[in-house]
Amino acid sequence: MEEKKLTAREIIESYDGPKLRIMEVCGTHTHEIFRLGIRSLLPENVELISGPGCPVCVTPVGFIDMALQLALEKECVICTFGDLIRVPGSEMSLADARAKGAVVKIVYTATDALDYAKENPDKQVVFLSVGFETTTPGSCLAVKKAKEEGVQNFSILTANKTMPNAYQALKGSADAFLYPGHVNAITGEDDCRKLAEEGVSGVIAGFTAKELLTALAVTIRKCQQGEPFFVNCYPRVVTEKGNIPSKKIIEEIMEPCDSIWRGLGNISMSGLKLREEYAAFDAQRKFDIPETEGTPNPGCRCGEVLQGKCKPADCPLFGKVCTPLHPVGACMVSNEGSCSAYYQYQM
Amino acid sequence: MSEYVKLAHGAGGKQTSELIEKVFKAHFANPEFTADDAAVLNVGDGRIAMSTDGFIVSPFEFPGGNIGKLSICGTVNDLACMGAQPLYMTCAFVIEEGFPLEKLEMIAASMEKTAAEVGVKIVAGDTKVAGKGQVDNVFITTTGVGRLTEGFATSGAFAKPGDKIIVTGDVGRHGCTILLEREDLGIEADIKSDCAPLWNTVKAMMDATSDIHVIRDATRGGVGTVLYEIAAESNVGVRLEATQVPVDPAVAGVCGMLGLDPLYLANEGTMVVIAPAESADKVLEALRGDKYGQKAAVIGEITDVMPGSVVVRTEIGTETLLPQPGGELLPRIC
Repeated sequence: MEEKKLTAREIIESYDGPKLRIMEVCGTHTHEIFRLGIRSLLPENVELISGPGCPVCVTPVGFIDMALQLALEKECVICTFGDLIRVPGSEMSLADARAKGAVVKIVYTATDALDYAKENPDKQVVFLSVGFETTTPGSCLAVKKAKEEGVQNFSILTANKTMPNAYQALKGSADAFLYPGHVNAITGEDDCRKLAEEGVSGVIAGFTAKELLTALAVTIRKCQQGEPFFVNCYPRVVTEKGNIPSKKIIEEIMEPCDSIWRGLGNISMSGLKLREEYAAFDAQRKFDIPETEGTPNPGCRCGEVLQGKCKPADCPLFGKVCTPLHPVGACMVSNEGSCSAYYQYQM
Repeated sequence: MSEYVKLAHGAGGKQTSELIEKVFKAHFANPEFTADDAAVLNVGDGRIAMSTDGFIVSPFEFPGGNIGKLSICGTVNDLACMGAQPLYMTCAFVIEEGFPLEKLEMIAASMEKTAAEVGVKIVAGDTKVAGKGQVDNVFITTTGVGRLTEGFATSGAFAKPGDKIIVTGDVGRHGCTILLEREDLGIEADIKSDCAPLWNTVKAMMDATSDIHVIRDATRGGVGTVLYEIAAESNVGVRLEATQVPVDPAVAGVCGMLGLDPLYLANEGTMVVIAPAESADKVLEALRGDKYGQKAAVIGEITDVMPGSVVVRTEIGTETLLPQPGGELLPRIC
């Protein structure tokens, strides 16, 4: 007898198997899932956890403190993606520093910061290089061009991160991951395929309503089959090998290093730093800024939120002293941060 | 409140209200003082509306307008929202030393043309020149008075469950235009500001029906911010139909790329109108007969569910909250 074909939505809504925990790793996914009201379609036994995929959220307090030193003590012009300016450091944010006279410019790509440096040769310009494989190629390109053109007054402060080792670190937090489609557009399928071989399950998901529902339905069906799995549910964008030129330029300019994730601590070889040949463009070395750990607000539970160990509302600061207008933790800053999304959608 | 004035204090959202409340209201309070776009004043036997607005938009010229046109539209629209016919305006210029006279001429000409379109007279002005670098090109402040229409009263507090929510045009175009002009995003899109003086448009609606509850200019903070304000002031719920909100495809494309919501981008020629279901059709028909109301649409309705909140019915039929506005979206858009 032929089985009736179910739509993705029907598969999701009718699931009545054992409890499933699915972690969306990408901030844009978190945001779209809320915007589309997808949680309201999920049966009780399917839980979506917002993971550490928003670059702003995982950037540690110490990084902000180092940026503040560059801005206030070394009087550098700081160029950064907009969200980062509101992330609290130990004592203040870059927005606070700007009100005190620091020069903080919002840019959309690292090369904009390089152009600004070229137009203002009397100023030292530092680009805050955060993010995953989606933004890292831009930083690398800017450094490469700066070296080729002999630009002396441009450097970057790196906190770039890569996902594969983070999935390993988060393995126990979820039954399966919704992999971040935009990151995989660069990295391709290989890392995820390898993870499946190591017992970590997940699907690459796109960002439209149809793509997200499809990815969730596939995840649910595959989980029911019981074997570790990997499926690319975003084939219109993600190819097997990914974006080869982007991967090449990262490889050429940067190398893996250990990296501190806010809330998760140090994850071995999950970061990227400039290679020795490009040390002159490393702001930390150039301005002799000591490695800074920073002191996060002790009440803030962003770290547990990022691992899915608690919901934003479980944090004593959530919605009280920590709001999108006055964020205490990084997850409340970016539109794509879990706490900000939970707050804005009143979950 | 934080210790310093931050750009977010000028974004027209919560922090702006906080600043007004704690600093200005504390010193200026009197029975006529208002947080509305224009004050309603009794003068002799009649009632007038009075409004003032400063303009610091950067760049001062943009597709679809310039700071001069904007300075007329802003004040005309603030008056029109109260159902007041704009009669007289004054303008004060702060001009940077070295500003080309030819550009000033262009700005004045465009003010003349915009004022003439709605029959408002510019009757006095002031000129100050500041040293190079002390202002950015030119800043303009306009003040206007208008005659209130008898028997016509709108307010953000008058929305009632069952009312329809109408926008007079597609949303987010001004904010998007300025964003693309200002930031070096490398995005080329054929988008023009919606900047327009809307008195004739409002008049057309008022001629069609006197049964209109709210008219609001959706400037800084966009339609989303206005809807939250109305939900709070009227203590009602708002339900938006995501698929009914008119958005220019180019604006939608740019917003998609940059992660912005057109509902939170500024408009300078688009208003939110709330009217009982019985008169909504008349309003819509009047709008569509006006040159600035061609894209007018019903985008949702007022409910008694979750007062103070804006709920969106999404493209997949689920219901979710529209996130609250807040923070520094884009400084110096008007």
